[in-house]
Amino acid sequence: MSLRIWDNVGKITINLIVLLVVVVYLFPISYMVLTAVKDEAQFGDPNAPVWPSRKVELDYEGELYPLHIVPFEDGERELLLVQPRRNESQFIDPAAPEAGLIEWEGSWRKLEPVYENYFTFQAFTDWFEILDFRQVGYNTLAVVGLTEIGVVIVSVLVAYGFARFPIPYGNVLFLILIGTIILPEKITLIPTYFAFINLLDWQGTWWPLIAPHFFGSAVLIFLLRQNFRTIPKELEDAALIDGAGPLRILFSVILPMTWPTVVTVALLHFFFIWNETRLASLYLLSAPDKHPLVSSMLARGGFISGANNLQARALITMIVPTAVLFLSQKFFMRGVQITGLEK
Amino acid sequence: MFKSSYKAKRGRIGLLLISPWVIGFVLLKLLPVLASFVFSLTDFNMLKPQDIGFIGLQNYAALLQDETLWSVLFGTIGLAIITVPLQLVFALLLAALLSSEAIIGRNFYRTLIFLPSIIPGIAVFSVWFGFVDPTSGWLNQLIMEPLGLPPYPGPNSESGRNLLLILLSLWNIGPAFLILSGAMMGVPKELYEAARVDGAGPVYRLINITLPVISPAIFFSLLISLITVFGGSVLLDRSISFSSGFQSPVDWYIAEIMFGKQALGYAAGIAWIMFMLVMGIAIYLFKTADRWVFYPVD
Repeated sequence: MSLRIWDNVGKITINLIVLLVVVVYLFPISYMVLTAVKDEAQFGDPNAPVWPSRKVELDYEGELYPLHIVPFEDGERELLLVQPRRNESQFIDPAAPEAGLIEWEGSWRKLEPVYENYFTFQAFTDWFEILDFRQVGYNTLAVVGLTEIGVVIVSVLVAYGFARFPIPYGNVLFLILIGTIILPEKITLIPTYFAFINLLDWQGTWWPLIAPHFFGSAVLIFLLRQNFRTIPKELEDAALIDGAGPLRILFSVILPMTWPTVVTVALLHFFFIWNETRLASLYLLSAPDKHPLVSSMLARGGFISGANNLQARALITMIVPTAVLFLSQKFFMRGVQITGLEK
Repeated sequence: MFKSSYKAKRGRIGLLLISPWVIGFVLLKLLPVLASFVFSLTDFNMLKPQDIGFIGLQNYAALLQDETLWSVLFGTIGLAIITVPLQLVFALLLAALLSSEAIIGRNFYRTLIFLPSIIPGIAVFSVWFGFVDPTSGWLNQLIMEPLGLPPYPGPNSESGRNLLLILLSLWNIGPAFLILSGAMMGVPKELYEAARVDGAGPVYRLINITLPVISPAIFFSLLISLITVFGGSVLLDRSISFSSGFQSPVDWYIAEIMFGKQALGYAAGIAWIMFMLVMGIAIYLFKTADRWVFYPVD
């Protein structure tokens, strides 16, 4: 009996630890969300609370005046500042305006304003005015869709080749493939940039963003090959005896058993290409209307640069990948299995 | 005779299947790497491309004298020494914690841990730069000040920048965490049962069963973290533009030479030095891997 109690205490403790770790880990995201919905006036105001809020302003004889906390000998009162002057100011009690002006001596600048909770989506609507979301959506769909088709089909075929066929010097080629995963990008950047711009004249087009993916992706090939190798050879042999060709076997034996990994790989590419801004900012410099969403918002960052706009931009760019991640979480977290690098 | 020609035929089919990657490798990796080397032997500058001239190893001689280069290289290695093990340990601990069946909603938690790794670089930078801003951010206001800790100096000072890079590296663990989690779920249950019968505790089981079985995944995670520090992007895209280079000091310096000064010959020289450094570390890791990475017998 007592053992069970300890078991439960242990379970509760470990659950609390995990909850705490995740809350701390994601804490900056709450900053992002709360800053994005703040009113712009709050940023220049040193008295403003952390929470999204604004100064309370109340109506007195047709005009709005800010509410302040005013200290008197018999305690603090919340009064409207009607007539601010350097050494003495005049206030109105909003509860009893008919009592007339109240004099108070001291600098009104030292008084604390009264705040109320207030949030606004102004920072988001600003972006919708600046960006043509239809054009940007079309660009994103084209770049994401085309590269997705290319990279998944080619990577599956290449991984199938590496996993199932006695390719001459296959092991050496596969080691080279792993080598290209760790190849620093900067070393290939200068010559490819030169070739794309000067030889192929691809400046201002989608080609530099899309074409390289039609040669497959080394890391995705690696992950797929790992998975394809786990399928027992006997299943393939049975299909071979029935006279099935290599592609038939891929579609009728291998893929039905490994599709969760294929989908995972497609998702990994989706996250990668959605976030890709380097190539776009390099090659689409002269074509601002061809940018996909993220690089387009990046390129226009200079137009609106309030803290709330920056965080709103961050939220807008991450909303789609976040939704995709949560919708696909069930099998996404199971799809990647690494067993052995060279084998 | 029949058998060997059959094998040769299968080999040819295999070659055909992998041919797109082979062509891509030659066009997009091999030739550019070689061309980079040729560039590094010239004084090519984008601002005056017509003045290109062959200068032999002069770039490399200048590199040896370049104090900024050495300081960014050592800075990057120092950063790697801190962040790579930190990321690995953090990812391992989280993966181990979240593989416990006692946790309610662990798949949801796993997704939350992965979340920071799939959001765009500009979102990551906006939120962190805002969060740590010395005056308007939350780090000093809500954490450092209430706890009585010294205030964070801001990302413009060197120590502040390094601290931010270390914090940011913790938001990069997604791919490693994913791979380690997947590997931990794949550990055969019978192994744990046998150890439990023998009276082994959870820590003993983690060190003696889980870690050896998932060692290939650990190795792969190590490689990913290492590449990220040197400005690469494997399963994780963190840089905003080629010219920002915020991933590490050396990443920033190459971007500066390449896009600031547009001295492509010199930049290619630095890229080659970095290439050899990364490849050297990787080959060393692969060599030691024989000793500590456990491969299942097929």
